[in-house]
Amino acid sequence: MKFKAFLTQDGVNLLDKRFLPSLDKIGRTCHLYLTRDHAVFLHNLIGGDGVQSVAQFKKEVIFRDYRISSQNEDRIAFAIDVALLHRALRSAQAIQLQSQDDTAAIQIKLVKKLPAGSRNPAPFLTFETKGLRSAVVQDVPISKPFSRADVAQLQDALDASQDLPQTLVQVPDLSQLQNLVDRLKNVGELLMLSITQYGDLHLQVSTSLITVGSEFRKLRVLGVQAAAPSGDQNLTAPTRTEMAIQRGEALSVQVSLKHLAKSLQCLLAKPDCAFYGISPQGGCLTVIFQFFIPGTRLTDKSISFHCRLPVLDTGSS
Amino acid sequence: MAGGGAEALDLVCHLDSVQGMVDALSSVRWKRHQDAVIELSEHGIVLIVEEAGCLQAKVYLKRELFLVYEYASEGRPRFGLSLGLFVDCLNTFSTPGHSSVIEIRYPGPDMQLLLKSMDFPDVCTYAEIRTRIPDTISWDYHFEHTGNVPVSFTVRSAVLKEAIDDLEWPCSAVQIRIQPDPPSVTFRAEGHGDLQIDFEYYSTNDLLVAFQCDQLLSYRYKYKFLRAATSNLPSNVLKDNRGSKMTVGRGGMLKIQHLVSVLRAGAQHPFSDHMHHQPSRIAYIEFFVKPEEEDEPPINDS
Repeated sequence: MKFKAFLTQDGVNLLDKRFLPSLDKIGRTCHLYLTRDHAVFLHNLIGGDGVQSVAQFKKEVIFRDYRISSQNEDRIAFAIDVALLHRALRSAQAIQLQSQDDTAAIQIKLVKKLPAGSRNPAPFLTFETKGLRSAVVQDVPISKPFSRADVAQLQDALDASQDLPQTLVQVPDLSQLQNLVDRLKNVGELLMLSITQYGDLHLQVSTSLITVGSEFRKLRVLGVQAAAPSGDQNLTAPTRTEMAIQRGEALSVQVSLKHLAKSLQCLLAKPDCAFYGISPQGGCLTVIFQFFIPGTRLTDKSISFHCRLPVLDTGSS
Repeated sequence: MAGGGAEALDLVCHLDSVQGMVDALSSVRWKRHQDAVIELSEHGIVLIVEEAGCLQAKVYLKRELFLVYEYASEGRPRFGLSLGLFVDCLNTFSTPGHSSVIEIRYPGPDMQLLLKSMDFPDVCTYAEIRTRIPDTISWDYHFEHTGNVPVSFTVRSAVLKEAIDDLEWPCSAVQIRIQPDPPSVTFRAEGHGDLQIDFEYYSTNDLLVAFQCDQLLSYRYKYKFLRAATSNLPSNVLKDNRGSKMTVGRGGMLKIQHLVSVLRAGAQHPFSDHMHHQPSRIAYIEFFVKPEEEDEPPINDS
């Protein structure tokens, strides 16, 4: 099992400024899954009941001189502490800056070493930064690489997580949503989230003392859509949502506000737009983030990032 | 909005400074779970909170603070609600850097307090807060002046807050002594060590901005009540360099009055073009603090 590659400058910036801060907020430990073509950071896909997140990069986005080999179709997966990874990356970057030399590149590779004071070799992801005058090596401890069965399980979970909801609505202003969700956290713990095929997104927190809700209407819809019934603008948001559910033109799920707030930490990765959808049987709430190719409005297909929030109760069933 | 015409409601009002209202209400929120009573009248909205029959706070939101204030009740409707929930709920309507307009209505079909954002046709935030029948106010905070001249002084709110914060460490009641000659006010706490803070009118008149006293008065107040009356002032009170007025009434009842700006976002500066709105863009906050019983020993009473 071998892996080594150089980090590109774009890759370093992308990870350091955007993705690692965001992934760290979702969960301290994540799985890093490397294949011949992709590097994928995953949270809670196996053996976790929190927010699942999948950040997938084409290898060229982050790496150059990418070499990977394993007896399991060149696939390697292991668990890694996001904060440690971020620290190593930042200090490697600092050394690179100090050397003031473009040739100072950061190489990462998988190694097995004897940790100080131990007799058993342990696996590390090692960062090697060579400047003109100095070379610095940093070892980030990782879990034992996954067995063939574990990798297969991870791949299955990854495939399953790609299922798209039938209807997706685009939330135009994520920071507004984040602000709302942060404040709703003080009111209650559970949130009812409904999405209609007309492009309405309705959030509601309800306790025995208070009901607070917010409705975003006329959002852009992807997938199955329907025309809004005429005359419904005079109804209250809860009534409108209820009627849409009865007509089979909306789905509603209950999620934890804590999970929703966590998924909104993906904003740190600076996505250009976000879509919300509920999977057909109300199994989960999916949030898909899109990134544009810099300077354009075209989706950058080499990066994909999405979250799935566990559903606590299917409101519509 | 479906259900119930406006004529059935006691109050329909529109407010363009949610953050100002949050600031005003937060200044009387000294603990997480706090019951409040709201009284509606043709003059505005009054919110009252009380603690242990010894401390009462009132927030006056005059009708001039509201863009629209339609009051249609014969009596003075009163209802109880959780202050914490009300503030947290109002917070969901406030967007940083944006002045949102909300509509407040009472009562809803089930006697709820109803709130709704009015800014955008396609984004609507709404809330329904359950109200309850209010408890009777346990103690009448009828305030009477001690003599012909009300005994009062006005001190910079920021200074008052700092002084009360500093008086925490002796862990005791705080004696407030006000004397006409030389005109001065002394705050003193004696517990684990002593701390005394003097405001002399002639030497610190930039801090003690007004002073009126014709007799020596000295009373002791529980530290936690003084702290409750000063610790939650919003930052704009401190920044605007406002004063807080303290008046000692008959029996030592202490009245503390603060002024909180209820400005729209974007019109925060008092010298901006919105200057002419200023007098009506203030919420009045009043605290009434009962003194300690006089027969208690003067120290170690905590």
